[in-house]
Amino acid sequence: MIAILAVAAVTIGTVGLGAMGTRLARTTSDLLVASRAVTAWWNAAAISGEYLSAASFLGIAGLEMQNGTTALWQSLGFTAGYLCLLLFVAAPLRRFGSYTISDFAEARLRSPRLRGLASGTVLLIGGFYLVPQLKGAGLTLNVVTGAPYFVGVLAVGLIVSLNVGLGGMRGITYVQAFQFWLKVFAIALPACLLLIHLGGLPARAALFGDEFPSAGAKGLAVPLSAPQPVTFPAATRYTVVVSSRGRSTARAFDAFAGERTTLPAGRLLLAPHAAVPVASGTTALRGSEWARPVGGGGERSPVFVYSLLIATFLGTMGLPHILVRFYTNPDGPAARHTTVRVLGLLGLFYIFPGIYGALGRVLVPQLYVTGATDTVVLRLPQAAWPGTVGNVLGAITAAGAFAAFLSTSSGLLVSIAGTISHDVWPRVSRERTTTVAIRRLRFRLAAVLGMLAPIVVAFFAQGVDIAVLVGWAFALAASTFCPLFLLGIWWTRLTAAGAACGMVAGAVLATSGILVGLALGEPGGVAGALLAQPAIVSVPIAFLAMIAVSLGSTERPAPDAEMLALHAPEGLDLPDLGVRDPFVLGPRAGA
Amino acid sequence: MTPSAQPGGPTPRDELAEATAHGALYLRRLRQRQLALSLLTLIAFGAIVGVLPLAIDVVPQLRRLDVLGIPLAIWLLVVPLPPIFLILGALYARRADALDESFRELVRRR
Repeated sequence: MIAILAVAAVTIGTVGLGAMGTRLARTTSDLLVASRAVTAWWNAAAISGEYLSAASFLGIAGLEMQNGTTALWQSLGFTAGYLCLLLFVAAPLRRFGSYTISDFAEARLRSPRLRGLASGTVLLIGGFYLVPQLKGAGLTLNVVTGAPYFVGVLAVGLIVSLNVGLGGMRGITYVQAFQFWLKVFAIALPACLLLIHLGGLPARAALFGDEFPSAGAKGLAVPLSAPQPVTFPAATRYTVVVSSRGRSTARAFDAFAGERTTLPAGRLLLAPHAAVPVASGTTALRGSEWARPVGGGGERSPVFVYSLLIATFLGTMGLPHILVRFYTNPDGPAARHTTVRVLGLLGLFYIFPGIYGALGRVLVPQLYVTGATDTVVLRLPQAAWPGTVGNVLGAITAAGAFAAFLSTSSGLLVSIAGTISHDVWPRVSRERTTTVAIRRLRFRLAAVLGMLAPIVVAFFAQGVDIAVLVGWAFALAASTFCPLFLLGIWWTRLTAAGAACGMVAGAVLATSGILVGLALGEPGGVAGALLAQPAIVSVPIAFLAMIAVSLGSTERPAPDAEMLALHAPEGLDLPDLGVRDPFVLGPRAGA
Repeated sequence: MTPSAQPGGPTPRDELAEATAHGALYLRRLRQRQLALSLLTLIAFGAIVGVLPLAIDVVPQLRRLDVLGIPLAIWLLVVPLPPIFLILGALYARRADALDESFRELVRRR
């Protein structure tokens, strides 16, 4: 009950504040003017607030519980992504003054066609990244209210569409900054209190020793709402209680180690200290395997870890909703210093998710049975500290999770809807002069349209871990926009054709790797690891394709004006520098 | 800009062209210096983060050695890296600002 209230409060607060702030800052240029007064710390908190998504809040802990401490590489990569942004992108892009990735592509390479390609890629990545947010929403509402998964997905999809359609959340620095501190509070306070309450990490054997996760000293009862295929990691005696026509019957079984079976809907009873069966498709890990940050096969292999690090390190800059925030910095150096602060703030947040994954392995092992480890952050407080305190802490994490996917999916949908209404909408109507009212209506329709595909995909993605879904979005971003930015900003010889070839090659390789991996049912070994996280292959190929095609073409680009706009420090008063505004620069293509 | 062309002296157009040519050269040098600084920071980052997964995989002592009841490998993964990112980032930002400033001085002096 208290959790429902907390979630409702966060939702109403976010939507309400967003709507109010919109009245103050209607257009992007208003946003820019208003933000001159915003300090680097506020900006950094706002950037971090929009960045921390369902993947950070729920996914890392869930994946850690499921897959072991390998999941912690992901939080490392999520932070390091901003270091890459700082080193190569932040200051030049702020000086260049493009507001979106599509704007940058068009203005830097003077090619409207490349703009079209970039816009398509923005939609693909944005859609990929929205799916895990919606999945998180469905899970959270399910845990908090008991509503079926699809209800939560639909409800949050609708709320976010409405929020964005009505103009909420757009560039409101203070709301996003507030969201960041809300999320830090919501993940840090329960984690710290639980650790104090439990007196440190419990049951070291299951965490770092030789044991599988086990039912506690009192045994374990797991309610199953549907038949559940599972694997027993060790020989276990278990009881299944099935009720039909008002009568419940209990039957006892003996499972041998490695037995696969399908448990009927009802209740599974496990004796004290019995090894917990795991949902089929997942692997039960002994403590020592679980605690090993790298090593073993598949998603625990070194190849996978390196590939994931590359995807997150290089992919952050290519997420559609990230760069827009950098324009609230007044100039290039400010963009640098804001990004340094972001590194600190993210580092602070990512201390905590790992604690939930470790505690969850010991205290809520029933999540292994259904494979719903993504809910560990939500379920842990009540399980670890029964009673009012646990309920309050659970309400806090639920509210934080809600804040996480409301802010991220709103930011994403703003980018997606902007792209749809500006680039994808039939060109016929774009040629004519459109009134503000028509443009606004178009944006609102786009906000609804842009949500449809992710909602449909989210229905089918219930079984895929949030952190895995997010890994794909990062792989795609790293294989397309990262080479575009890095070469576009630092290499004068890049041509539009080269950029296009590289982006297509990267996108095709990354997407096909993921789809083939899904079709083959996530095979093991190095091949499986590469299919699950293709960045280590697709990123270098995208770079090579861009460079090779650019060098091979007869075109000798001379982007002096663009390089000046990207790299000239502020306050120079150089002659004839009418290139700072990309909206002037674009049409001057022949100059 | 007033037309003040004098016979023999450089015309404003020449001056502008010269300034732009010099400017382009200086700017190219600045860009290369900035890129070198970024790459240097990247190498430092890569040396630290890039080695860690391999080290944990290859050196079993890192996993077996317990510090406060938690394997050393997990400590290495969780504790030192975020502060290192922060320090690398702060050092880089300071140096990059300094490069910008020296470029500004160069241009102003001319």
